[in-house]
Amino acid sequence: MAAARCCRLKLRRPGLSLHTAAEAAVRAPEMTGPDVTAAPVARYPPVVASLTAKSKAARQRRVERWQATVHAAESVDEKLRILTKMQFMKYVVYPQTFALNADRWYQGFTKTAFLSGLPPPADPAEPAPALDVEALRAAACDCLLQEHFYLRRKRPPPLYQEREAVASPFLDQMVATLMGLLSAHNPALATATLDCKRPVHFYWLRGEEIIPSGHRKGRVDALRYQINDKPHNQIRISRQLPEFVPLDYSIPVEIPVITCKPDKLPLFKRQYENTIFIGSKTADPCCYGHTQFHLLPDKLKRERLLKRNCADQIEVVFRANAIASLFAWTGAQAVYQGNILWCEADVTRPFVSQGLNTLALTAQPLYETIEDNNVKGFNDDVLLQIVHFLLNRPKEDKCQPLEN
Amino acid sequence: MEGLNPCVPTCTAPRGPALAPPAVPQLVARGNRYPLYQLGNPQLRVFRTNFFIQLVRPGTAQPEDTVQFRIPMEMTRVDLRNYLERIYNVPVAAVRTRVQHGSNRKRDYRNARVKKPDYKVAYVQLAHGQTFTFPDLFPEKEQSPDGSPGDEDIQDKLLEEQQRRQSRDPRRGGVPDWFGL
Repeated sequence: MAAARCCRLKLRRPGLSLHTAAEAAVRAPEMTGPDVTAAPVARYPPVVASLTAKSKAARQRRVERWQATVHAAESVDEKLRILTKMQFMKYVVYPQTFALNADRWYQGFTKTAFLSGLPPPADPAEPAPALDVEALRAAACDCLLQEHFYLRRKRPPPLYQEREAVASPFLDQMVATLMGLLSAHNPALATATLDCKRPVHFYWLRGEEIIPSGHRKGRVDALRYQINDKPHNQIRISRQLPEFVPLDYSIPVEIPVITCKPDKLPLFKRQYENTIFIGSKTADPCCYGHTQFHLLPDKLKRERLLKRNCADQIEVVFRANAIASLFAWTGAQAVYQGNILWCEADVTRPFVSQGLNTLALTAQPLYETIEDNNVKGFNDDVLLQIVHFLLNRPKEDKCQPLEN
Repeated sequence: MEGLNPCVPTCTAPRGPALAPPAVPQLVARGNRYPLYQLGNPQLRVFRTNFFIQLVRPGTAQPEDTVQFRIPMEMTRVDLRNYLERIYNVPVAAVRTRVQHGSNRKRDYRNARVKKPDYKVAYVQLAHGQTFTFPDLFPEKEQSPDGSPGDEDIQDKLLEEQQRRQSRDPRRGGVPDWFGL
């Protein structure tokens, strides 16, 4: 009996008994009658879904908790670390791919709408800058002849890489020369950084699937993708380019939705380091992208595709490269600024980068032939297109006078 | 058909069992060796190949331009491309192959393993934007309300004739056949 009394004493809760608590609750609204009634104080912890159960609500709560830790992180490096530290099997997306109809698939993965043709000029009222076309043409011809004629190579290029071995150094030289010549017209280029074959990585989640086999069979899992790209050249600036269309622009074109699994593309899964990288680390002031230049390998050149009955895939190859590379670069830039695309902190302002598939302007080749110290049939329009791309500059600079 | 060239150039030599060479040389037979190739030899050409392929319905959803085949194990993707282009005039953009392992797990009444044969599956993507869907081979037959003359009548008549042939002579009045009269 003594023991029972002790138990009863221990069981009694400290604080108010139920009776007194009810009296307090009844009295409380009487005291604050004329004023606005205060919200009832919750006496129990909030009723939420479980964290560890095998249910949709539990998964939702786990995902939201993870997203909250990402938002709560103070520096961008911490956010990147939390996003990329857990490794799982993910689809590896290659921008330069031989897969058929890759551009439609990539549009589905990246939710990109493709509008053909160049964007309209941002400021039609602004007068076109006075370009020294002769000097630009002379510089371009010089670069061409340097690689094709002046330079004597000791050993022949490796098998099936003849075009690449000549085009790659030419492109490097031309981009560097044009940047130098156009920095007078575009002050952004003077302070820009030029990267040659620097890696660009992006990791993102989109969509869900049911795991087909393994110890987690039957459970819902997010689909993860990674792009590891190496653009031939890229220019990064410290301020952002003006956008071509506003953020809430409704696209007239439909984004293709593919019903099959990504494996049918073919696309393969691998588990390795998740990286998000724009070409330099987060501390770099030049964290906004300006232009990327890509060179397609000889494996995907026109003649080889035509031999394989893939004449309609030539355009597709260029488009897929552009979509994937620019999505990766622009997405990585956005993440560097703290906007995590899939974590509901969607982009609050538009991010712009522009890419140029050089030698992709195959409908209009840059030149026809090179014969012994002479470039025949040089196409000025193509060069001017490249130049106009490079002349795009951030909005604030447009107010400044051209000559400083 | 114009442009139809049923000659199929071959690529690799299969490793089949060593057989005695037949009297009439038949190249590209399953299980035969190809003749040895040395630099400068002309391209080996085959006019009546022994490879036979089957078009199958895909188990999982495939993109519209993909056709699924079961092909012999000795056939390569280059062989299949030439086969479809030369014999059937089908433009092929890409071919991917894989070998499906046939189960060896089932056991018979003696506990000896029963092997289902392995086979090679090829996924062919058609060129020039062509698409293909596997047709429905067994569509549901729509039964008409009135007894209209059609295939069903013929089938019923055949069934009746068969039954009449098997039944005994009605003039015997139910007496069994072994009874002597």
